[in-house]
Amino acid sequence: MPKAEHFLRIVITSEARLLHILRCAVRFCAQEAGVSASDMDCLTMAIDEAASNIIRHVYKDEPSGRLGLEIRAFPDRMEFTLEDSGPKVSPESWRPRTLEDVRPGGLGTYFIKCFMDEISYDEDFREGNRLRLVKHFTPAGSASHEGSGQERK
Amino acid sequence: MKVLVRNENSTTIIECTGEVDLYTSPKLREALLKEMGGIKTNVLINMGGVSYIDSSGIATLVEGLQLSQRTQTRFGLYGLRPNARSVLELARLTKVFSIFEDEQEALAKISTTMPFSGLS
Repeated sequence: MPKAEHFLRIVITSEARLLHILRCAVRFCAQEAGVSASDMDCLTMAIDEAASNIIRHVYKDEPSGRLGLEIRAFPDRMEFTLEDSGPKVSPESWRPRTLEDVRPGGLGTYFIKCFMDEISYDEDFREGNRLRLVKHFTPAGSASHEGSGQERK
Repeated sequence: MKVLVRNENSTTIIECTGEVDLYTSPKLREALLKEMGGIKTNVLINMGGVSYIDSSGIATLVEGLQLSQRTQTRFGLYGLRPNARSVLELARLTKVFSIFEDEQEALAKISTTMPFSGLS
């Protein structure tokens, strides 16, 4: 695996008021990696939604949990790893609701799947969950249109 | 995020500024519930100052729409920035909400828009 050109690791407590710090980190790394403004928005939202899900569904809004984000930028992709120390999450919980059912909630996983190309949980990670999200870029430097959101185990 | 409420021609305008996320969306929700829970009034959200909106923010807007459906009032958005509009398009919500370019258009048309009736 080639070495990442840019790398950042940040750990916050599981407080929604700190989510903007993660968004800033994603924007900073995406900008450093030369990602377009629209792709940067997509990446920022995907990571924000994933982190929000951890706060709401893994930690149940309990603010003393630990939430780590690692960002790696390669010439052809950006990789994001979110770590928590909460109860195991089932990949089944990533099933987004149908868009025809217009109601509040349930859109977070849908957006993540739209924006990211790979979504997987590290099954060997024992002390919580390690979620890996990857976005591939075309040789021209722009991200593929809509992520396939393929789940890999 | 800042939320300011004012009244214009018997329509309640909620000015929203900043980033709407899991932390700040309850503030917008609180304003919506307060304004829509009392007297019957049409509500417009000025999204011009919203630099970021996540799924919890969108859920709050959908809740506002649901409330308007229940109270037989109108609910609309205006001044959407491209990123917020893209997110609504992706969620296929641009045809669900009444969306106007600016306040002038919103105030002129909000009363005559058809109430949306497809919410579950």
